[in-house]
Amino acid sequence: MSEEKIKRKPWKKNLYENEEYPDNYTDISFLEELKKNLYIRNVTFKEACFGAGLVSQEICIVVIFACSFIYLYNEWLDPIDLIIYISMASFGAYCLLFYDNYNFLQTCRTLCCYIICSYLLSPVLKTLTETISTDTIYLTTVFMMIIHLIFFDYGVAALIVSSSLSLNAAIFGAVCLTSRLPTSISVTAFIFITVHCFALAPLFFTKIGFSFFMLILIIIATSTLLYSLSCIMTVFFLISIFFINVICPYLFIKWYSYKDNIYGPWDEAVINIPSNSI
Amino acid sequence: MIHRICMASDFFYPNVGGVEEHIFNLSQCLLKRKHRVIILTHCYTNRIGIRYITNGLKVYYLPIKTFYSQCILPSVISSLPLIRYILVRERITIVHGHSAFSTLAHETMMIARLMGLKTIFTDHSLFGFADTSAVITNKCLQLSLSDCNHCICVSHIGKENTVLRAHVNHDRVSVIPNAIDSTIFTPKYDNVFKGEIVIVVVSRLVYRKGIDLLIEIIIELCNKYEFVKFEIGGDGPKRFSLEEAIKKHKLQNRVKLLGRLPHLHVVNVLKRGNIFLNTSLTEAYCMAIVEAASCGLKIVSTRVGGIPEVLPPHLMYLSEPNITDLINRLENAINDFMNGVVISPKECHLIVKNLYTWQNVTARTEKIYNKYLFFNNRKSFAHILNSVLLCITSFFCVVVFDGIVLIFRNTLSPSGNILIAINEGKILICTE
Repeated sequence: MSEEKIKRKPWKKNLYENEEYPDNYTDISFLEELKKNLYIRNVTFKEACFGAGLVSQEICIVVIFACSFIYLYNEWLDPIDLIIYISMASFGAYCLLFYDNYNFLQTCRTLCCYIICSYLLSPVLKTLTETISTDTIYLTTVFMMIIHLIFFDYGVAALIVSSSLSLNAAIFGAVCLTSRLPTSISVTAFIFITVHCFALAPLFFTKIGFSFFMLILIIIATSTLLYSLSCIMTVFFLISIFFINVICPYLFIKWYSYKDNIYGPWDEAVINIPSNSI
Repeated sequence: MIHRICMASDFFYPNVGGVEEHIFNLSQCLLKRKHRVIILTHCYTNRIGIRYITNGLKVYYLPIKTFYSQCILPSVISSLPLIRYILVRERITIVHGHSAFSTLAHETMMIARLMGLKTIFTDHSLFGFADTSAVITNKCLQLSLSDCNHCICVSHIGKENTVLRAHVNHDRVSVIPNAIDSTIFTPKYDNVFKGEIVIVVVSRLVYRKGIDLLIEIIIELCNKYEFVKFEIGGDGPKRFSLEEAIKKHKLQNRVKLLGRLPHLHVVNVLKRGNIFLNTSLTEAYCMAIVEAASCGLKIVSTRVGGIPEVLPPHLMYLSEPNITDLINRLENAINDFMNGVVISPKECHLIVKNLYTWQNVTARTEKIYNKYLFFNNRKSFAHILNSVLLCITSFFCVVVFDGIVLIFRNTLSPSGNILIAINEGKILICTE
């Protein structure tokens, strides 16, 4: 047998020679061109936490939004006070961070326009979904907030990301809730908070950049606010934040070693054409 | 030794393509060797029932609806009675499935295995591992092939791919290439420069065939060389963008779109050309370039998949799948052609004719059939364990359910009651 092997011509990877070899012969060169994990990117634990932090930051904002609704709903807060405090805070943030970016007068004009509009429209908003049952309203809002969290732009170029859908879902959820509020002015205050949470906060957070210090600060603030409403919910909140920020990145890093992408000559060639012809 | 073979695939005449060609020619050669062959495929609009085609080849067009790109919906049980009936009626001993995309092939093979018949599978395509659809398809293939007697691939790359995708032992995979009918693809009279160069492309106009590359190449070459003309045979979704590019660059008299060509007319188009261009992005075995080589054309092709294995290097110009390299290779081919550095078409034809014949393919396939005819299907414990582990997923339930339905069918209409098909034996003249 071995003598026979020596006599044979060396096997070649083509389809027209190798007559001396059986059809199911497997050469040593079999799968030589196989490559694994070519485009792998090593993610450190810190980077993974960083990514998870953005998610928990957005969850905190949603929780703050929900808490503010409960405060306004139960009339534990004076809506006018709330508007004044928030305006002061956002004016401060504007002066510190955005003053160079936007024209002051124009911003003032837009702001006045917006405040007057939301004040005038608040009775309409209040009665808009009044006929719908409360359970439906809460359920819709929960769904909308989940959609908001799923499609929010966390800075990853994924197909699923859609900032407009995310923002619109949040606004829709807020509009649903407004009909449960007691007075028109509280509706105005609530719309004010919604805009701050979902339209202005992302701008603010991208401007100041992400830091763990900031994240911890927000988590503490949110849990304090939540604690004033319910102890159990605070515990749930903290557990889920811990799960997202510590356990998920840990599992991600741990399971990353199981990644086993196979590449080889059978892969479809990728073409990149500057499409000037069509 | 006479076998009763059932070829099962979703892809057959009136469809055209490499798989269809392969099934038809293999069946014809097997018929000539006195085997009994039937073909199982799904119906096409008004083509339902049993048809006899060339040399009395019996084709069952099963009345099953297609659901996605010419494949039947793998409903597992609803087509089982019909397929079982045919397999019993024709006293089939070997079921030979074709193409990994064909759900009918997998379904028939599964039923055949449950009935204790031998199954052979031919894989005609390559598949990546990167995206979700690939993961799902590969898993299905793995489940289907875990219990298949033998696999055949059309190139060595194909074998590597199949072994990786379906986790089949490499001993159970043979490489048997496709072939061409060299009596149809006869050489052109001569291949010399006569004032113009005709570049021929024959392929389906789809993304996978690199039509986007082709469009760019046409524009650039037509601008550069006054005497270059293109003839493009085939149809598909990319035809629209091709037409648009031609219109935009006013190349109507330089580029001829021939539309879908009957296989017999391909040779006429090839004979009009001087250079054959193939821009495929992936290819297990490129029949088109072998056909072109058989007609004596110069060949320029992308170096993808199994293409480098198909022809000796001096017959083709291989290029990387990008525009610059393809144009360089085409220019090399054009310069060589103008300078008369051409292998004469007759010589070219003789080389190809000796490399690939359907007789050779059939003889090699027959060897596999013979090997498994008396093969005891009882397997080693390790193999059973492996199969069971593979099948622990939902597929296990499917097979078990299928088996129950089969037992049910066996009691309801016992095999003894099924009228055995008469062997026509004599050659029937095709009326279509």
